[in-house]
Amino acid sequence: MVVLREGMCPGLDEDLVRDLRAADIKTVEDVVSSDIEELAQRCSVSYKALFAIRRVLLAQHTAFPVSGADLYEELLSSTAILSTGNPSLDKLLDSGLYTGEITELSGGPGSGKSQVCFGVAVHISYQLKQSVIFIDTTGGLTASRLLQMLQAETSNTEEQMEALQRIQIFRLFNIFSLLDCLYSLRSGGLQQASVGGGSVKAVIVDSVSAVISPLLGGKQNEGMSLMIQVAGVLKTMAKDFNVAALVTNHVTRSGSGEVQPGLGVSWSHIPRTRILLERVERAAPVSHSSMRSATLIKSSRQPCHIKEEFDLQWWSRSKEASSGKRKLDETDSG
Amino acid sequence: MTESGAQLFARLEARRSLKDVEPRLFPEDGGPDHGEVVELYGTEGTGKTELLYHLLCRCVLPVACGGLEVDVVFVDTDYSLDMLRLVSILDSRLNADEAALRSCLSRLLVVHCSSSSQLLLTLHFLETSLSSRPGLALLLIDSISAFYWLDRCEGGASVAKQEEKLSKCAVLLGRLLRDYRITVFATCHAIRRSWSGPSSSSSSSSSDYDRPYLCHPWQRLVTHRLLCSRQEAANNMAATAGGSKEQRRRQVFTVHCTSSSSSSSSSSSRTKTYRSSSFCVTDGGVEFI
Repeated sequence: MVVLREGMCPGLDEDLVRDLRAADIKTVEDVVSSDIEELAQRCSVSYKALFAIRRVLLAQHTAFPVSGADLYEELLSSTAILSTGNPSLDKLLDSGLYTGEITELSGGPGSGKSQVCFGVAVHISYQLKQSVIFIDTTGGLTASRLLQMLQAETSNTEEQMEALQRIQIFRLFNIFSLLDCLYSLRSGGLQQASVGGGSVKAVIVDSVSAVISPLLGGKQNEGMSLMIQVAGVLKTMAKDFNVAALVTNHVTRSGSGEVQPGLGVSWSHIPRTRILLERVERAAPVSHSSMRSATLIKSSRQPCHIKEEFDLQWWSRSKEASSGKRKLDETDSG
Repeated sequence: MTESGAQLFARLEARRSLKDVEPRLFPEDGGPDHGEVVELYGTEGTGKTELLYHLLCRCVLPVACGGLEVDVVFVDTDYSLDMLRLVSILDSRLNADEAALRSCLSRLLVVHCSSSSQLLLTLHFLETSLSSRPGLALLLIDSISAFYWLDRCEGGASVAKQEEKLSKCAVLLGRLLRDYRITVFATCHAIRRSWSGPSSSSSSSSSDYDRPYLCHPWQRLVTHRLLCSRQEAANNMAATAGGSKEQRRRQVFTVHCTSSSSSSSSSSSRTKTYRSSSFCVTDGGVEFI
C-alpha cells in the first residue's frame, strides 16, 4: 500500500492530491484501479494529465519483467555452489549449498544442527575465503568452538584470526530484532559486512524456529505473518545478493507418529532443500557417539529420502596427518 | 478507453488455445480453453512445481519439438522459480541445442512480486504487454497463496478486509481473461487443514488438505482444479541393490482433475467432469504412468 503524496511524480501537486483524497483515492493502487475518465470529471482535472500520472506511477511501482533468457544468463554467471566441508553432506546436497536458495536443516535436540552450522561457517570462511553472516538466536555459539575447529585446519594463528574475522555474528532473541537485522542487512549491510576481500556468501540463521514457534498456534495471525515476512526477506536477500541461506528448525511428530520438521505446513514450502538430522542408533549404544544420519526430505535436484551418515567430528579432525604434502608448520614462538 | 485498430486486432486476434497442452491430465476434450483458469492445489512435495514446469515447457518449446510455441508470463510471488531445473527439462527435450534453448527462454517473461499490492499493480502493468504481444497466451502465477498470511494479518479482524486485495486481483484477472482471452495457470499451496474428525493413519496428508480457502472471487474464476497428492512410496528394496537412479525415483504422484465447464444452454448449471492420472519425476521432467 503506497500512499499518494505530492511530488511523487511530475504533475502530482498538493491540490491534486487533496482533490483525489476527497474522491476517496488515497493510494497508488486506488489510482491505478479506478476509471480515469470518471475520476478526471470528479476531480475536474484533465484526462490526459491524469492518464500520464497513472502511467508514471504504474511504471514506478511495479516489478519489472525480465526475459527468461536474461535471467538464465545472470544465474549462470552468479550462482555458486558452496561446499559444506563434509563430503557426505555435499553428496546429499548435490555438491553443496546453492546460492540464491534457502536450505533447511531440521533435527531434534542434540542432533547436531548447530555443529553442522559451525562447521559450514568455518569451512566457508577458511577454505573458500568468503565472509559469512551467522545469526544466533539460541545462544549456542561460542567463539572458542569456532577457534577449536579452525585450529584443526591450521596452526597458523594469523590465518585463524583472519578466518574468524570473516564470520560476522549477530545475537538476537526475538522475531522483531531478527526482522530488523535482516532488513538492515538487505538494504546495505551485506556490502558493509564484506571484509578481508571476500564478499558475503552465506547467511546462517540458527535457529529460525526458536524465535517463530512461540508465536504460532492459537487464533492469532500475527505469528504466521511474521514467519512469512522472515521467509520473504531471506529469499530476496539470497536471490538479490547471491548468498546461500542456511536455517535450522526443530522437529515435531506428525499425526501418524513420524518425525517431521517443525513450523508447520506454511513453512514447508519456503526452503528449497530440506535435510533431517538424526542420531544413529547402533546395536551396542555408545553414549557419546558423534555419528549422525542425514535424510534428504525435499529437493528439486535429487530423489528424496536418500540417507547419508556422517561424523560430527569431521570438521574438527586433525588435517595434519591426512595430507603428506603439507609442509611441517614451524611452531610459533609468540 | 479508446484503442487503435491495431490494438483491437491484437486483443481479439485468436491467441493460441491451450486446450491440448496436456491431454493426459484433463478429461476428454476438456483442456483449458480461452479464458479458463487452472489451479494446481496440494501440500508440499506433491509435484506441483514439477507439473507446472512440465506445462510451461510444453508451451514454450518450438512446434518441431512437440511444443506450442507461445509466449508465457511467469509471475513469481514467492521467489521459487528454479531456472536451472527449468533449463535442464528444456535441454532434455531439445537435445542440447543452444540457439533453440535461447529462443525458448526468450518466450518467457518473468516478474517477481513481493506483496499483493504489487501483484495488483503488476497485473495492471501486464495489460499493456498483453495488448502488444498477441503471441502471449499464458499467464502463470506461482503461487497465488503466497500472501495469504500477510493479508490476513494486515486486514485485522474483518474477513472482508483480509480478502480485499486478493479479491481485487481476482476481479482484475477475470477482466483480463475476458478481454484478452488468455489462459491462467496458478499454484496454490494447501495450508489450511480441514478437520475431518479422527483421520485414518495412512491418509493423514492428502484428504485433510483439499478444501479451498482463498477468497470467493478467486474460487469463482477457477475452472479446472488439479488436486495433487503423493502416494506412499512403494517398497522397492528388492531392486535397489543394483538398481539404477531411475528406479529409485519411483515416487508416484497422483493428480485428480475436477473440471467445471458451464454448459452451453444454461449458465446456471455447471457440469463437472473428473479425471485421475499419475506421474513420476525423472531427470528430464514429468513422466506419466
